[in-house]
Amino acid sequence: MERRIVIKQVLILAAGLTLLPSCLKQQGKSTVLLKNLNVSLDQEYILAEIAETLIPKTDTPGAKQLNLHLFVLKMLDDCYENSDQKKFMSGLGQFEDHTHQLYNKSFKDLPRPQQLVLLNELDHQQDIVNDLSVFYKILKSRTIDGYLNSKYVMTNLIIWELVPGRYTGYFPVKSA
Amino acid sequence: MANINIDAAKTNTYDVIVIGSGISGGWAAKEFTEKGLKTLVLERGRDVQHIKDYPTTNKYPFEFEHRGELTLDIKKDNPIVSRCYAFKEDAMHFMVKDKEHPYVQEKPFDWIRGYQVGGKSLLWARQTQRWSDFDFEGPARDDFAVDWPIRYQDIAPWYTYVEKFAGIAGNKDGLPELPDGDFLPGFPLNAVEDYFKGVLKSKYTNRHVISARCAHLSQPKQIHFDQGRAKCQNRTLCQRGCPFGGYFSSNASTLPWAAKTGNLTLRPFSVVQSVIYDDERGKVTGVRVVDADTKETTEFFAKVIFVNAGALNSNLILLNSISKRFPDGLGNDSGVLGKYVAFHNYSARISAEYEGLKQFATDGRNPAGGGYIPRFRNVFKQETNFKRGYAAGFGASRYMHRDQSGVGETLKDQLLHGELGPWVVSSHMMGETIPKESNAVSLSSTKKDDWGVPLLNISVDYDENDELMKKDYLAQLTEMFSEAGFKKITPNTNSQSPGLDIHEMGGARMGHDPKTSLLNKWNQLHTCKNVFVTDGACMTSTSTQNPSLTYMALTARAADYAMKEMKKGEIL
Repeated sequence: MERRIVIKQVLILAAGLTLLPSCLKQQGKSTVLLKNLNVSLDQEYILAEIAETLIPKTDTPGAKQLNLHLFVLKMLDDCYENSDQKKFMSGLGQFEDHTHQLYNKSFKDLPRPQQLVLLNELDHQQDIVNDLSVFYKILKSRTIDGYLNSKYVMTNLIIWELVPGRYTGYFPVKSA
Repeated sequence: MANINIDAAKTNTYDVIVIGSGISGGWAAKEFTEKGLKTLVLERGRDVQHIKDYPTTNKYPFEFEHRGELTLDIKKDNPIVSRCYAFKEDAMHFMVKDKEHPYVQEKPFDWIRGYQVGGKSLLWARQTQRWSDFDFEGPARDDFAVDWPIRYQDIAPWYTYVEKFAGIAGNKDGLPELPDGDFLPGFPLNAVEDYFKGVLKSKYTNRHVISARCAHLSQPKQIHFDQGRAKCQNRTLCQRGCPFGGYFSSNASTLPWAAKTGNLTLRPFSVVQSVIYDDERGKVTGVRVVDADTKETTEFFAKVIFVNAGALNSNLILLNSISKRFPDGLGNDSGVLGKYVAFHNYSARISAEYEGLKQFATDGRNPAGGGYIPRFRNVFKQETNFKRGYAAGFGASRYMHRDQSGVGETLKDQLLHGELGPWVVSSHMMGETIPKESNAVSLSSTKKDDWGVPLLNISVDYDENDELMKKDYLAQLTEMFSEAGFKKITPNTNSQSPGLDIHEMGGARMGHDPKTSLLNKWNQLHTCKNVFVTDGACMTSTSTQNPSLTYMALTARAADYAMKEMKKGEIL
């Protein structure tokens, strides 16, 4: 038992991390079990940062805390064509290259204002069809899906009822 | 297996054998066991016990690995069943996967099946409307198929009988074309459904929007509590199986009821290969069953056989029941077995928006699904260039729009604070199709399944009448929507194949004449008096109503008749 904990801590230190959902993964690999995608731990952190920049922590949890980047990877791995998966990974690479060119840093190491500038740029270029836009569209739409369908949101913010027990066809609302 | 074949005739003998445990088989089981008859229900799939075997029923969306979505592998492995609206992560375990039970599509046909105890009664859309004489008289009046051997008055008391037990929510609407039933309180229309109802009433003489009638316990009575069922809780997660028994299914209602009598033997994993006709005795004596797992063959015997395997599978079993007397399938002297298959034409929808009544939205969920427009075309007289007509669903709802533009705190705020959009209205057609000799099923001469049963060839297609009817539906609904001031009217024809309506019917139709039909007015094979077919296979025509309620009523009626005949000694 003791030894395990030590090993875990070593792994954590080796990877330079403070938090890992699962600590017994192969070093340098993504923490979510994937069948098709080959995602490095570094790439996973970049995705986590992008997701967090899209839906940041405020007085309520943000994307990182809800592990939305892992949900994105899970969906990408299981529900998308291989061609989309390739475009996504290539788009992620291009995005990082672009970030390095501009700031000489990885997206995950940038301060939030610069992260927002980069994502806003992508957000305004969604009509252009290339690997970068495919990457961004999948990432953003699945981050949003994951957020709205997360346990936190569905049980705290936009309550989803398992047992409504009622139906009203004339429910008064403000007609804006 | 426990059934070693030493003295099979004695140990494997029952009063009645029911093939299939779906919506009609469950009713047969209930009727016979209640009256003290030892009844064997054969189900080809696994057992599904009420509540206990509903693994997803209490899950929140976030508890599903893919939040309800199908993975690409599942979609690619299951192109047919994936097209069914109910085939999602929460209910796919109740539906047959494409590769498990192949069939031969001579023409494209999406055959949607649920092979388990309860069958598709777990999954159905629960819409329940009675037929009227405008439906039963259709073939005779409009010269197609053969005349139905029954009329509304023959089945009306049996509709009442099954409605009381199943629990049907609806309103007394007073429409001759859609007779009222013995209803629990109907679910209400919402503001825009009501508004549209008013528009149709003022502009047309015979176009009505009514609350959809459905098999939900809006206000249960003692007979429903006695079944262990409770009030519908408006979850609208019905396809997962309902822990409240809020909607009618064999699993929640008829099968446990039958089991309580002590007269029911339910045998899952029992693939019926054929019905046994004893040429020497000149009668049907039982059924031949292949164990789904061991493939071992066992014979079971009974005085009466009810065939309720699901419309096309009942055809398959009869076609595969060969004897010297019936070389072309049981009871098939006429040669019409497997022919005159029909379905419902669901191939058009229409949607629009309404800018009014924004002071209202809906709250909670409506298990009835909204409104229903009974058939208004060619009801009282022929008035179009096509035969028969269509019913239509009609629903209105408002969606929360959550602006997904931008990034960061703004995006998060937009997502959490949506804005109600305008009312969106939509309708889909449910058209009667004309049974034709060329729309047929038959046995494959070369391919068999893993249980030694020939695969079913399915050759069913739309025709010119369906196309004309579809055009008329879109034209009429466009006009009606325009009258109501709906905007952005968007007709949508889809290319869905027959079968996806999950209303396949016919093949062993009822009729007066043994030369042109398989079954008489009691759903009894003209030439094998102890065999009854009371599922969709018996349907002479389809009309436009959702068919399950009619199967239930026909089953209870036929069971009652069979028991009377047994008493009289007419069936031995």
